[in-house]
Amino acid sequence: MEMTRIEFLRTVGLGISALIMPGQALAFPGLADPEKDIRGTVFRNDAPARPWKWSTEGAYYSTSGKLVQCGICPNRCLLKPGDRSVCRSRVNVDGRLYSLAYGNACSVHTDPVEKKPLFHFLPGSLIFSIASTGCNLRCLNCQNWEISQKKPDEVDHIELFPPDIVAEARKRKIPSIAYTYAEPVTFYEYTRDTSLIAREEGLLNVLVSNGYINEGPLRELCAVLDGANINLKSFSDRTYRTLNGGTLDPVLNTLRILAREGVWFEITTLVVPAYVDSPEMIKEMCGWIVRELGPDRPLHLLRFFPRYRLTRLPATPVETLEKLRETAMKEGVNHVYIGNVAGHPGANTYCPGCRKLLVERKGYLKGEFHINKGRCGFCGRQIPGRWVV
Amino acid sequence: MNSREYQALALVFLGVSSVTTQLLTIREFLSQFHGNEITVSLSIFTWLLLTGLGSLIAKPMRRASPGLLSLLLLLAALMPLTQIASIRFLRGIAFVHGLSPGFYPVFLFIIATTAPYCLLSGFIIPLVQIVSRSTGSLLESGTVYSLDSAGDIAGGLLFSFIIVYLLTPFKAVAATSTPLIVLAVKGLTRPGRVKFLILFMIPILGFYLFSLWPKLETETLMGQYGEVLSYGESPYGRIIVTREGDQKSIWGSGVPLYSDREVVNSEEKIHYALSQLDRVESVLLVSGGLGETLEEVFKYKPASVDYVELDPFVTGLGTDHGLIRKGSSANIINTDGRRHLKETEHRYDAVIFDLPEPDSFQLNRFYTSECMALVKKSLRGKGIFAMSVDYSPNYISRLERQKLSILVSTMKTHFDNVLILPGEKAYLLARDGELHEDIPSRISIKGISSSYVSAFFYGNVTGERIQAVNQAIDSVAPINRDFSPGLMRIVFADWFARYGSSPYIFLFVVLGLVTVYLIFLRREEYLLFSTGFVIMGAEMLVVFSFQVIYGYLYVQIGAIVTAFLAGLLPGALLGKSSWGRLASHKKLFISEAILMALLVLFLVWIGVYRIDLPPAVFLAYCVVFSGVCGFQFPVVAYLIGEDKGPLAGCLAADLWGAALGTLATGTVLIPLWGMEISAIVLITLKISSIILKALK
Repeated sequence: MEMTRIEFLRTVGLGISALIMPGQALAFPGLADPEKDIRGTVFRNDAPARPWKWSTEGAYYSTSGKLVQCGICPNRCLLKPGDRSVCRSRVNVDGRLYSLAYGNACSVHTDPVEKKPLFHFLPGSLIFSIASTGCNLRCLNCQNWEISQKKPDEVDHIELFPPDIVAEARKRKIPSIAYTYAEPVTFYEYTRDTSLIAREEGLLNVLVSNGYINEGPLRELCAVLDGANINLKSFSDRTYRTLNGGTLDPVLNTLRILAREGVWFEITTLVVPAYVDSPEMIKEMCGWIVRELGPDRPLHLLRFFPRYRLTRLPATPVETLEKLRETAMKEGVNHVYIGNVAGHPGANTYCPGCRKLLVERKGYLKGEFHINKGRCGFCGRQIPGRWVV
Repeated sequence: MNSREYQALALVFLGVSSVTTQLLTIREFLSQFHGNEITVSLSIFTWLLLTGLGSLIAKPMRRASPGLLSLLLLLAALMPLTQIASIRFLRGIAFVHGLSPGFYPVFLFIIATTAPYCLLSGFIIPLVQIVSRSTGSLLESGTVYSLDSAGDIAGGLLFSFIIVYLLTPFKAVAATSTPLIVLAVKGLTRPGRVKFLILFMIPILGFYLFSLWPKLETETLMGQYGEVLSYGESPYGRIIVTREGDQKSIWGSGVPLYSDREVVNSEEKIHYALSQLDRVESVLLVSGGLGETLEEVFKYKPASVDYVELDPFVTGLGTDHGLIRKGSSANIINTDGRRHLKETEHRYDAVIFDLPEPDSFQLNRFYTSECMALVKKSLRGKGIFAMSVDYSPNYISRLERQKLSILVSTMKTHFDNVLILPGEKAYLLARDGELHEDIPSRISIKGISSSYVSAFFYGNVTGERIQAVNQAIDSVAPINRDFSPGLMRIVFADWFARYGSSPYIFLFVVLGLVTVYLIFLRREEYLLFSTGFVIMGAEMLVVFSFQVIYGYLYVQIGAIVTAFLAGLLPGALLGKSSWGRLASHKKLFISEAILMALLVLFLVWIGVYRIDLPPAVFLAYCVVFSGVCGFQFPVVAYLIGEDKGPLAGCLAADLWGAALGTLATGTVLIPLWGMEISAIVLITLKISSIILKALK
């Protein structure tokens, strides 16, 4: 087998590391795998002896003797008794899969819906936002790592079972509930059950997710979802592996399913310098979006700031965002927004037909608004989205 | 030049080169990784540990040829270039671009990149003695130690007071390796070896071609930074300005300090503080004046704005590239912020700190009760003080709660009211007057425009979030003090939590290895081990104390570190001046007693009197301290007996003690228990070596 110079260096480095401190050698993400794959691994013998108060039996799992395989997300964690899943929230206790994140919200806030970001979904409204712990990815720039990269027992939580959440949202007179901050796919049962009650009570449900979920669970969830924001982190499988610890295809599949199931959703892409800022990649991505999802799917291009472990990159140049927005629009995406740049006109909604300003956004403050019954107030063209409850 | 002179020069030149390489390498690591007190200590620890190991490898050797010595000297002279280049090159291979790695990857990387040079330089020192024995003119251990110390002192002085101002890293390597190269070439130039010499000239030529190539610095930094517009090595770190399209960014030691149009931080830190005041006449900004910050300040039409920034390279390059828009009435002062607060007689309406997290002793001084007393003194009646720390807006972790609680407790010792506004960072406001939460309405009343605060505040900094963070504060949290920096421990814990790792594996491994080592250690070597530990511990305590009193002043700190080296040579010369065996035992006891007395003196000073001492007292203390330490080495070597080849073992004990002292004092003792307990631990260690010696 031939070896390149870099592969040789990596191998030597890994060898030295392993000799010095075997357990820690894999801490070199680059050395451990030439593709710099940072995908998470199962936590062996890390589960509690028995489920706790905030547990429920997991959905979508299969068994083989005492061995269980979680089927919620593409990680498909194979857990022996006592093991904990990659997302840290699901465990095998005596041959049964349990979610440990049920009724124990660690983050509860009321946010403007634009913060999710959702620009075509009840603009100007508030959304009751909840999270439990865990994430099935390992994004190096996660802004919620204190909850997404923690086990349920490592964080302080508020006891809020599904009926309590719905009651609280109604008490606050908020029309919708967002499952957000960490990764709702990892607290799937909590999200699903709350959504069911919320739907019965006339509230809307919004999923803010990385979209790393399998088809079965997603389709079941779609039945109770009213909106979603899916974070399409890049259009490169390699970048997904390097920066996020995931893979691209399952996320694309999620976007297809949401579109087919008729759930309103918007897409967010964080433009990380040197990784997700290539015009060619954005062009390819937008071509795919237009082909598979249609031209009316809003795309949010967000400015990156150094966060968590990815602190040695500069902020994304605003000029880059503007160029990428232009590229995306040229590819046929009708609504492309620039985010994380205060006061930028790229946050406004313009009519793709007459090009007039339809929704002026000054941060979370609504300025001009010219959409009537889902149509452009000037030319009458239909503007996709859910504009009223 | 006879062989004895050759060997003596080899030790001195190696000392010069290795100390410079050590300092350059540590600076390089601080520019590549997160430069907190842990990574600083880890770099020094690894360096000393590996150098000690190199010395120990030479222990079984009995004979060696002068040719081998010259060859290894040449290698040691050339290797610093490849070491620094490889740190820059390998970082891109070992780690994801843009990543700030955690403790264990950093540790392994430091080992992998420094091991060849450290092992070699550590090996050469005892090798010189072995060669001297082989050539019939034995250099005694005390002499070897003295000569090596002389080189170390010269290297320290050269780097701290000349090189750091004049030369970039690769040119510094070229300059300090030259004497060693000349010496090595001389050793290799013998009749009949001309062909070999030509062979050696190729790498030497390559060495100079590369190290003196004007573009080498920026070329080797491009992988990390991209397009470099300006590059400077200041005494405080590496300052770089880059361009990404139309955007310019300024970096300090590998961390982006500011990129164009980062308005959120500028607006939050200024408006949350200044909007509280009815009138803003005079503002002091300690660091963070880049970008839109000063423009935001001037919206309040103050009569004067003082912007204090430690590093003149930041303000210089920032101004040159339009990254500081200071207007006509901002006064840029390049000094230590705390020193300015102590010395200024000006009274401000607002004092705003914009500093990195308190993860080093240098930075922690700005988060202490003593510093806030200085702030209070510098404020007019109901003036406002504002500072910020990292914060996760959606969840207040236990560590964040502890961090904020300590800061609120500390602020409340000087101010009547403290308010936290949970923005992109946690902004802590302190004032004797009223504090307002509704910032947009305050700035609206004043007719001030903003692009972020006016538009995003009500969605991001909601009343519910403000209430949650302020209610989460533990009212009985400890106070962060200069000599008891409890906040650092929390920040360290947070850093480890970020990587999901724990320092305990490392500490257990180190403790295990130390235990095994101590079992096989001679009692005399243990004395040197404990002295090495104590001198590095004492150096950290003294440098930290000096910073508290006088501020972080590069030249003075450099003088203290050099003073800790400067005493070694006269001490060692004194130690080897008389060789009576009984007298040697007595000498050791006396030296141990002096070290104890010096530590007790320090303890009494920080524990009881804590008066400001003149800098000369610090310098004298350091020279005496290191003098006593230097004194012990030749005495111990003599006691063991030159016939037993004590040098390698003694060097290893000295270096490993120093390694452990650096790590333990900087990352465990001071952050966990404060300066007084740290001093007591050092005293206890010395007591243990006296008892062990007495038992014999």
